This record gives sequence, C-alpha cells and structure tokens, in this order.
Amino acid sequence: MSRFWRQALGVAKRDLLVEGRAGEGIGIVLPVGALAIFVVPLATSGSASLLADLAAPVYWLVTLLFGMQLALRQTATETVPQRRLLVLLGLDPVARFVGRTLSASLLLLGLQLVLIPLVILFYEPEPVPAPVRILPALVLYSVGLAMLGTLAGDLTVGLRTRTALAPMLAAPLAVPLVMGASQSLISVSQGDGILTWTLLLVATDLALAVAGVVTARPLEETAT
Amino acid sequence: MTKRILPVLAGLALVAGLLVALSSPPDVLQGDFVRILYIHVANAWLAFLAFGVTAAASIGWLVTRRAGYDRVAASSAEIGVLFTAVTLFTGMIWGKPIWGTFWDWGDARMASTALMFFVYLGYLALRRATPDRVARARRSAILGVIAVVQVPLVYFSVVLWRTLHQGLTIRPDSVQMEPEMLTALLVNVGAFSVLYLALLVARVRLARLEEATEVHEEAPAGSAVTAPRLETGP
Amino acid sequence: MTEPIVELRRIGVRFGTVPVLVDVDLSIAPGEIVGIAGPNGSGKTTLLGVVATLIRPSSGTGSVLGAALGTDDVRRIRPRIGLSGHEPAVYPELSLVENLRFVARIAGVPTDAADRVLADVGLAAAADRPAGRSSHGMQRRIDLARMLMLEPDLVLLDEAHAGLDKDAEVIIDAILRRVRARGGGGLLVSHDAGRLARQVDRVLRIEAGATV
Repeated sequence: MSRFWRQALGVAKRDLLVEGRAGEGIGIVLPVGALAIFVVPLATSGSASLLADLAAPVYWLVTLLFGMQLALRQTATETVPQRRLLVLLGLDPVARFVGRTLSASLLLLGLQLVLIPLVILFYEPEPVPAPVRILPALVLYSVGLAMLGTLAGDLTVGLRTRTALAPMLAAPLAVPLVMGASQSLISVSQGDGILTWTLLLVATDLALAVAGVVTARPLEETAT
Repeated sequence: MTKRILPVLAGLALVAGLLVALSSPPDVLQGDFVRILYIHVANAWLAFLAFGVTAAASIGWLVTRRAGYDRVAASSAEIGVLFTAVTLFTGMIWGKPIWGTFWDWGDARMASTALMFFVYLGYLALRRATPDRVARARRSAILGVIAVVQVPLVYFSVVLWRTLHQGLTIRPDSVQMEPEMLTALLVNVGAFSVLYLALLVARVRLARLEEATEVHEEAPAGSAVTAPRLETGP
Repeated sequence: MTEPIVELRRIGVRFGTVPVLVDVDLSIAPGEIVGIAGPNGSGKTTLLGVVATLIRPSSGTGSVLGAALGTDDVRRIRPRIGLSGHEPAVYPELSLVENLRFVARIAGVPTDAADRVLADVGLAAAADRPAGRSSHGMQRRIDLARMLMLEPDLVLLDEAHAGLDKDAEVIIDAILRRVRARGGGGLLVSHDAGRLARQVDRVLRIEAGATV
C-alpha cells in the first residue's frame, strides 16, 4: 500500500476507534438530534398535514447542524501535543484531510440513516417511491459535510470561540449540499430525475475536495 | 495627497452618478424604480470586485507572507461586506413594488447573494477571533481563497436556475439595455469604483496605523518571573 | 553526519507583541547532548519548539539537521526529530499499544515494533490499558517508547525527568546512548540540574529569553 493511503487509512481507523470508544459523537450528538426532531412538532398546531410537510425540512436542518457538530468533533478534541506529534511524524497533510473525511463521512451517513426512521415515526410524511434512489445523494451529502467540517475545524483550531465560529463558517458553504440533497428527495418523491441535483452535489464535493487538498499544507501550520 | 484627493473624487463621482441616474429616462415597465437598480447593480459588481481583490491579496500573502497583502485582503473584505449589504437592501426596496415582495425564496440570486454575505461575515469573525497577527493572516488568507467561489456562483445563478431575477443583461457579445440606461449604470459603476478605491486606501492606512500603535514590549516575558517571597522550611 | 545537528544564530521569537526569546545562539554537534536549565517563563519550551521546527523564529537564522528554519525544507527532516513535551502525546481512548501501533503505521515502521518497545519500557503488562486510564508517568513512558521505536537523529525532551521515577531514567539513558551512537544529537530541558548534568555533555542556562 502506498504511504499516502497507509497514512490516510491509519488516520481514519484511529478516528473511528476513538469515536467507538468515547462514543461522544454518536452517544451525544445523535440523541440531541433525535430530541430536536421530537421537539419541533410540539411547537406546531400538530396538524398531520403540516407535520408531513415539515418532515423533510426538519430532517435536513437537523442533519446539517448536528452532522456539522459530529464532523467538527475530532478537531475539537485534538490536543496540541497530538497535533505536533502528527506533524513531526511526517503525516502528509492531504492524507490527514482524506482520512478525516473518510471517518467523518461514515459517521455522518450513520447519523442520517438512523434519523430517517425517527422522522417517519414522528412526522408520517408521504412514502417515497423507490427510496433507494436517494442513497447516492445521502452519500454525497455526507462526504461534502465531512469535508466542510474538517476544513472549518482546521481553520478554527485553538481559537476560544471555535464552538460558535466553526459552524458559522461552514453553514453557508453547506447550502449547495443541502439544496442538492433535499431537492433530490423532492424529485424522487415526485418520480422525477435527479441528475441535476446529483451533479450539483458532485460539483460541490469536488470543489470542497480541491479546497481541502490545496489548503492542507498551509493549514498544517495552524496546528502547531 | 492621495488621502485628500480620492475622497473628494469619490464624492464628486457619486454626485455625478446620482445626477445621471435622476436624469435618465424611466423604464417602460418599472417606471422610476429602475433608478434604484443603478445603485443595486453597481454595488453588486463592486462587491464581486472587492471579494476578488481579497482572494488575490490572500494568494499574495500565502506566497510572500508580506503583511501588506493581509491588510489589503482584510480591508477589501470589509468593504465588500458593506457593498453586499447595500446590494441586498436596495434589492429588497426595489423588489417590493416590482415583484410584490421584499424577498422571494425562489430567487437563486437573492439567496446566493445573502449566503455570500454570511460567508464573508464569517471571514471577518475569524479575523476578530484570532489574536496572533501571523495566524490571523494565514487563516483568513485560506478562507479568502475558498470563499471567492461564491462570486461566480452568485453571478451565474440566474443562468443556472430559472428565477425571478432577470437574466444576464450585459454579456460579452451583447447588451440588452437602452443606451441612456446603460450610461447611467456605467457612470454609477464608475462612481462606486472610485468610492471603493477611496475606502480601500483609507482602510489599509488605518490598518497600518493600528499595527503601528500596538505596544511592543521590550522586556522578555520571562523577566516578569521572580523568586517567591515565602519562608523556607526548618 | 559532519554538519551540526542544530545551529541557531541570534534567534528571536515574539508571540504577538511579547518577546519570548532574544538573540539565542545554540549549536549541537553530532553525538552531543546539550541540557537547558532555567527558571519558569525563561523560554526553554519555546526554544525547544524552535529546534523542533514547530515554532517559526521571528528573527535570526538557523538550521536543524541541515534544513533552514522558516522554510518548507523542514518538512523533509521532521520525521528525524523525536519530541517529548510537557504533556504526553497520547490518545486517551486508545490503549498503550494501540497508541504505538498508530504511530508505527503513520511513520511506516512495522507495527510489531510497538509490542517490542512497550516491553522495553516496562509496560508490556499494561499494553491493553486505555492511555486515558494510565498514570502520567506511564504516558510519558509511551512518549519515550515512541523514540525507541522511531530512532530519531535529534531527541528533544521537555521536562525530561518529570513524571518519571529513577528506574525509568534508564529509558532516557538508553535513548541518549543510542542517539549518540547514531551520530545524532539531543536537547534536554529540565529543572533538575543535578540529574540533567549527569546525562548531558554541557548545560546552557537560559533566563528571560536569553542564554547566559
């Protein structure tokens, strides 16, 4: 295996192991996201048709906000000695970005898949014909959010206000991802094609990948 | 001399722009409300220019690490945020009588311009949150290069999505505008360009003065640590 | 290796407006171990950070393992530097052996070396214990085990003796002996001047950011 992929997969494996043991992301972010899904209907008239219409927007909002927290978590908990260690080990900064993205993408996809039955249960939206068609959009959405979270986390590492600042930086740039994913769902619900929205997601992911690769080296200096 | 001449020129140019806008003919459909567009469109273009300058200066800093590039990048971003705010505000004022609404969620250009506004607010917030000068320059340079992608997205949003906003009126191969209106628009673009330059020069000078007034301590950090004054054990 | 391991000339470091190091000269020849002693706040850790190529000097010139400070060339030599700082660089959720295996994977060293060095530093019986539930001294031994595994040409130890008992000094002795044999160098920072003097070739004193 090449040095690059050995390092990238090493970082991804470490991130997933840490998450699996600490359980903060899935143990805290997921329940709070589920709570948000539960609370919204309490703030409405409770009409079934209103809730059915709200199902998708609430789902995308929760996956955006809480998914971002999940993606940011790894850089939030990394200490200065840990970051310095990786720099001195000669970890390729692009491999680090790729590894981080891989692990965060898997966690985000997991979060999204777990929240779907909750939304169906509490909001009872219209059933979607051929729901498997939405899977590519969910994957691209997860990957895009993962890259955005990694970038935002690296831009704000070590700053006192990073908890508020990182989502502030990431959320506006996440809008093409939210649009692509949500419009894909609408198109699938209506039996329409999803090519345009898939292309938007692919283009956004590509742009974020380029940004991540190009900024990986300059951002490495912020870590030390 | 620049610091006196530019503001005066900007003032004169804005007055000229206002006069030309007021004397241009009303639009067949929009009536006199078309005059708001001369300010709206001019501010939008200058916002794009300002953020483009931010991106270019950010690249300059990343390559050379010279503080001057950072001052230009940050100053231009601040001015760009101001122009974007004016764009959004004048767009809403114009939209109410023409579209019947201050804001239409189906319009991609409005939404993408608002997003661009938030992205650069985030840029300014990142700068405020980073106390160390070099770290501030590095982080905001990186964000300045990433964020400029918003500019073509906003500009081409009317082409990519069918929206209320009118399509590209001025294209490289054709201009779909009456000559008097085009003149009014171009004069206002010129006027706001001079304003941009005047604001940029003033803001960069202010940034340089702010850095010069930072108190540079002469005594090293460790000189403040002295031996404790406590009794020792028996 | 015949060129100096470390060569610093009039190095200055400012954090914001505050000078932390002022005109520091330092050189470490191949096979030499230098000690740094000084009171709190004197700039010892910052000096270590400069030599580790992690802190860019504000003024002065220098080179570490042949790479000029403040240039991209330092990336080339960073894997040859071993640093153990105030705080151990371990992942609390991973076990002691997993921490070392992760490092081995990133560095391109066979992962079974992790088990070997864990035994060398006396932690074989605690290999599967989460690092977060291990004592500070055990975590520091992991930092040192990492150096035994990666065999750096420049060893940097901050508060070298903190958290380590006298038996564990054997580990530091072994690291220093091996780096000398390789023709490398070392820089040790410690408050314990007595223990420091025993392990290094000479001691530099630093006060208020300057060497005295």
